[in-house]
Amino acid sequence: MKILLIEDEPELRKSIKHYLHQEGYVVESVADFIKASEKTSDYDYDCVLVDITLPNGNGLDIIRQLKQNNSKAGIIIISAKNSTTDKIQGLDLGADDYLAKPFDLAELNSRIKALIRRRNFEGNSSIVANEITIIPDERAVKVNDELVNLTGKEYDLLLFFISNKNRVVSKNSIAEHLWGDDSDQMDSHDFIYVHLRNLRKKLSEKGCTDYVQTIYGIGYNFKLSS
Amino acid sequence: MKLISKTLLYYLLISLPLLLIAGAFSYYLINDELRDGTDESLRREQHKAEQVIDTFAQPHTLFLTTDSTAFIQPVQQQRLPSGYLDTLIYDKEEEEYVNFRMLRTYYTFKQQLYQITILKTTIEEEELMEGILSSFTLILGFLLIAFIIVNWLLAKKLWSPFHKTLAVLNAYDIKNHEQHSFNPVNTIEFNQLNDALTKMMEKIYLDYQQQKEFTENAAHELQTPLAVIKASAELLMQSSNLKEEEMNRLQVIDNTIKKMASLNKGLLLLSKIENNQFKEQEAVSFKQLVTKTIDSYADLLETKQLKLHLKMDADLVVNMDPALADILMSNLLQNAIRHNHIGGNITIELRDKQLFISNSGEALRISVNDLFVRFKKNDASKDSLGLGLSIVKGIVDSYGFGISYGYVEDLHQFCVSF
Repeated sequence: MKILLIEDEPELRKSIKHYLHQEGYVVESVADFIKASEKTSDYDYDCVLVDITLPNGNGLDIIRQLKQNNSKAGIIIISAKNSTTDKIQGLDLGADDYLAKPFDLAELNSRIKALIRRRNFEGNSSIVANEITIIPDERAVKVNDELVNLTGKEYDLLLFFISNKNRVVSKNSIAEHLWGDDSDQMDSHDFIYVHLRNLRKKLSEKGCTDYVQTIYGIGYNFKLSS
Repeated sequence: MKLISKTLLYYLLISLPLLLIAGAFSYYLINDELRDGTDESLRREQHKAEQVIDTFAQPHTLFLTTDSTAFIQPVQQQRLPSGYLDTLIYDKEEEEYVNFRMLRTYYTFKQQLYQITILKTTIEEEELMEGILSSFTLILGFLLIAFIIVNWLLAKKLWSPFHKTLAVLNAYDIKNHEQHSFNPVNTIEFNQLNDALTKMMEKIYLDYQQQKEFTENAAHELQTPLAVIKASAELLMQSSNLKEEEMNRLQVIDNTIKKMASLNKGLLLLSKIENNQFKEQEAVSFKQLVTKTIDSYADLLETKQLKLHLKMDADLVVNMDPALADILMSNLLQNAIRHNHIGGNITIELRDKQLFISNSGEALRISVNDLFVRFKKNDASKDSLGLGLSIVKGIVDSYGFGISYGYVEDLHQFCVSF
């Protein structure tokens, strides 16, 4: 899995690269428009993460260029601007997703995974994690081939956990993933607790191991490997 | 006091004493002339009387006039001083005292001393004087009235550019800066005033623009550093050997970043609203909007066990940007949820051109005037940013809608009038 990261802020570039590297991706990164333009025309990527405001150019032009070259890469815009016009323009040009800074790495990771899944299997994919099988197209979850009846939020939570398996995911990341912009309006940590409790109960009723570890003070870790 | 009234008052204050002095002066001048005239005629009479005495054969009293006002009388010695003097004589017919001018002289003829007394009434002179005075007063009064009217008309005409300038200033709204300009006038001073004001307004507008841009730029520029901190914190969380204390620190960092990001988002939204960057117009059904917003806050409503009362018999359709309508409704609902107590009530009511939303909750601790001011929080300890209602106000203001607040029977009531 090859990812191109186009981001001019060096520390952010390093962090994203590091995180995605741990996920097993091959990540190449460039800091400006010219290098980005060279890379995208010379190589094929599965996914391109592009910042809109770049030294000597606009990230939207990279998207145009990718589309002109009939690139199959999934495109995620990461922008500090969070402007609706940019978002609409980017998506119109053919970007697949839009993430406003500051974002959670866990969120970025889950978006990349969802994007790659959609691209590679054109919908016929399922995610397997030991006895758990998720069929994203149907938003269905099976444990040992037995269907588990989850609510929307519980499903989203489980998918988010599995996308970021073996990683510490903060409660804030989860809240933002589940409730988006509204997450700062509520005592979201209590909600997460309620949804998680129900999810755990439903999974264990079907004989599923409880993989969710509580990391004191911060969040949770969905630990699949020993 | 109006400028014109002030000017006139000062003119009057200065001109009245001047006119009085001038009047008094001319009165004495004319009076003097008239008296000189009277005295002259008295002297002529005296000469005539002396000629009459020269014809006397023997001394006797002679009345020169029928009304006994001039007579020659032989006397032994000069008992009374000779010369002119004013006197009052009782007029039997008119039954009043009348002013007379008298000349008394002595004349010696054939060793006999004669006293010549000539009296002349000054009624004519007085009447003449009265006539002069009243015509003088009339002219002055007329001049004064004409002066006031002319001044008033002139002031009205001369100051009209000033009033136009004032009207422009009163109508000035910094958000519609382009719509204001002064028409050139032909008075140099007012042109200078307009020029100075134009310059000042340009400067204010520029500062205002920069201020707005600053908020927007600052919020923008902070996003990337925040992203760096956030990513670093997240990576740090992945370390396997963190102690509890370190975890807690990380949690604090994570929460603070989240709060800062929300603040930035709120400020950006506010400046976008103020810069009129939401330009779409759509007929927004508030009935649908309320239902949709309630759905997305179902979790919250449930947790706080809030009872929701909806009175939406008639739909309320408003032409506005759908994104802003969304933000308006969710901010109002969030506010009603946040400042409510467990098991409280929320009422949403749609009426003709009005949206009511009320919730139970403690009375405000801050002033009602501060309610819509950014960063003014009723409860500093609460996890609120203090931007929600400023955003609501920003949206309402940008469309010229109205919003009012009241606290009645333990209920916070907001009313948006479209």
